[in-house]
Amino acid sequence: MAGFLGRRLGAAAIAALLSSLAVFLLMRAVPGDIIGQMLGQTGSDRAAEQALRAFFGLDRPLWAQFAEWVGGAVQGDLGRSWYQGRPVSAMVWDAFLVTLQLAVLTLALATLVGVPLGVVAGIAQGTRIDRAIQTFNLIGLSAPVFWLGLMLLVGTSAALDWSPPFAWSGPHEDLEENIAILVLPVLSLAVLQAAAYSQFVRGLMIEELGKDYIRAGRAKGLTPRELYFKHALANVMIPLVTFMGLILVQILGGVVVIESLFSLPGLGRLILSAIQGRDYPVVQGALLFVVIIATTINLAVDLLYGLLDPRLRP
Amino acid sequence: MRNLTFPRRTALHLALGSLALPGVARAQQAQIDPLISGPTPPGACRGGRVTIGSLVEPPALDPFRQAADARIRVSVLMYQGLFYEDQSGVARPLLAESAAASADGKSWTFRLRRGVKFHTGQTMTSADVKYSYDFMRNAANGSPGAGDLSSVASIDAPEEHTVVFNLSRPNAALPMTLTNKYGAVVPRGFFETPNSGTRMNEISVGTGPFKLKQFRPNSTLTFERNPDYWQPGLPYLDEVTFVTMPNSAAMVVGLQSRRIDLAMFSRPQDTQALANAPGVQVHRWPSLNQKTVDLDCKYQQLSDMRVRQAIALAIDKKTVMDASISGYGTVIGTMVAGMQEAWGVPIDQLPNQRVDLDRARSLLAAAGHPSGFDIDLTTIIGYDWMDAAAVTIAEQLRRINIQVNIRKLDLGVWIRNFRAREMGFTFNDWGTTPDPSLLYYRHFRAAPEGADFRNWNNARASALLDRGQETADPAARKAIYAEFQKILAEEVPTIMMFSSDLLTANRTRLKNYVQHGTGWYFGLAKAWVEG
Repeated sequence: MAGFLGRRLGAAAIAALLSSLAVFLLMRAVPGDIIGQMLGQTGSDRAAEQALRAFFGLDRPLWAQFAEWVGGAVQGDLGRSWYQGRPVSAMVWDAFLVTLQLAVLTLALATLVGVPLGVVAGIAQGTRIDRAIQTFNLIGLSAPVFWLGLMLLVGTSAALDWSPPFAWSGPHEDLEENIAILVLPVLSLAVLQAAAYSQFVRGLMIEELGKDYIRAGRAKGLTPRELYFKHALANVMIPLVTFMGLILVQILGGVVVIESLFSLPGLGRLILSAIQGRDYPVVQGALLFVVIIATTINLAVDLLYGLLDPRLRP
Repeated sequence: MRNLTFPRRTALHLALGSLALPGVARAQQAQIDPLISGPTPPGACRGGRVTIGSLVEPPALDPFRQAADARIRVSVLMYQGLFYEDQSGVARPLLAESAAASADGKSWTFRLRRGVKFHTGQTMTSADVKYSYDFMRNAANGSPGAGDLSSVASIDAPEEHTVVFNLSRPNAALPMTLTNKYGAVVPRGFFETPNSGTRMNEISVGTGPFKLKQFRPNSTLTFERNPDYWQPGLPYLDEVTFVTMPNSAAMVVGLQSRRIDLAMFSRPQDTQALANAPGVQVHRWPSLNQKTVDLDCKYQQLSDMRVRQAIALAIDKKTVMDASISGYGTVIGTMVAGMQEAWGVPIDQLPNQRVDLDRARSLLAAAGHPSGFDIDLTTIIGYDWMDAAAVTIAEQLRRINIQVNIRKLDLGVWIRNFRAREMGFTFNDWGTTPDPSLLYYRHFRAAPEGADFRNWNNARASALLDRGQETADPAARKAIYAEFQKILAEEVPTIMMFSSDLLTANRTRLKNYVQHGTGWYFGLAKAWVEG
């Protein structure tokens, strides 16, 4: 177990370093930098440009800039935002909490709706119920998130004369406002994920229910409840957990759109605005954080396998 | 000594007086100078909070070192310069009380307003003014406004309420330069505090009607009333919160559902959804902005003036305006709409303004392109109007056999190209402080004095821009800039197409909000809410 963990952590560290280098080089390969944005469409005053370049350390060789950043990062210092002046780690953490709340609520809602729908559709394969659920899946999977979000926003406003407050409040600041802000974004994201879940679980259930042990169980006189929920569902759990990990990573990716659409100050929006503003420390710090989170989720999924199936324990 | 003094408390008369002049912009007919001298609104009461929806958010709040227009919009609530950019093209006194230029035009003496306090509690003196503008004009400090002050040789503070700007060459536009776009008067020594620039995201140190309360990037920006503000009784509002909104549909929804009280729309046609919304008013204001097509005079075929003229002759500005902003604007020649009456040349007196395809084709043939050519036209991501305009212009240029490939660029990349003078053939969208020198000088004066982004390098135009800057007599100045505009229209380094109107929508509980033509939020100082 310790060896397994060690190998995985080593691989994660290498992945983090390589992706950081890629982000570092890519950001600098994109034309335009913060100095252009600060000076805007005004005269190209060489002295002002050089002064700012020196101020941000952009006049130093690339390897020196990268080495300094890595040196800080391994000690937990991701630097400060060039625009905000705040430590990048604090900005990333604040934004992550927003995204995490959005992701967890979405995952919970998607699981609570999607898994039962998939199970029911799998058991009731070919019936009218199955077709209704499949229709929902089709719509959910094909409706673009930004479109759905916009329709929900405009629709609730027209139908209920209500809209979410656009100014963010954290759950600890004002819980009621917090929920009001998150209802529509969670709904827009969850529809897609619930449909994906439902479609996936339906397939698994159909496959599982066709297996020999189910027929044997049926012959043995097990009740449908025991057959479906004790045996079939238990075997569906492993791929389901993998899928949950994938969905979580997918939600974390999909939030960029939804955070922008509903003015949520989350990680996606932080990264997007930092890229647009060429705020290199924020882009690098935030993406490093995302890499770490994605690696951790994958590792957690692998460890969960072992919990669910002793044969897979490393 | 030419005296351009504005005696205390007579600014109202000045503003009213300017109404009588024939050359006054449209804005003044509707509203008199909103910030400085407009009448106190009847029934105005103190108190209340408003929420404003905004599509853009300032990247940071340092007025000295951030050029972004989103920053300037809100900076004017916290920070002030010596003068205020009245839309008629006159610099009105703000922190200064009077301005006087010496006979040779190379020395300006400003008397300062008394009793002005910074948000830090300190009282403003001439030493603060000298400190602030010295900081800004030193290029090593990285202010985008430094170039505008290149004519300033030194600043003296002989008395507590007197500052003297000594110039290396006369600059009639100096008062208008000391307005509110870049820089401001801040307490002396402020920039010696560590991380002073980013510190301005946490506290405000200006003299404006509102103080910074909290800036939460990607979310909200909140200001509170400055209780020590120097204009008696102002501002009325206790608190103003800006919320960053994703798109105009969200702003429409926010206004309808009473979540926001005010929003400014970048695409005027988006306000149509609010035409019949209960409790919401839509206002249309003339602007100092311009939508242009810029032509890099060293780029491929554009280096031949005849090609540029042919393009100008093929573009029907009105059609482009209708397609891109549903006609909510004014077609222009060589001057932004808000300044046309004061400084512009009537369109029918300018060359290359009317569509003339036959002439365009023969110019192209003379330039060696009888069967036309292919060219890239650049639009900027996030500037929606450019998409419709690009398609329209591509269609119009096809009629003279120019095949346009539309290229969409990220703003950061576009700025880089622009600053490097590699703009090619591109759309542009920019606003100005209402003075012709500030409008033209940096953009069209040959290097090194100007930036000459379009590689025009025109000696005659440059000489006129120098003279215009040095000439104080308004009539003589106007004649100089009229001559300049004729050259600009003749040689086509840019095609100024139209100024789009500013459209604001507000809940009716918000009263007396007046929108300045720059798009900046000066008007909040005198706005108030009912109940």
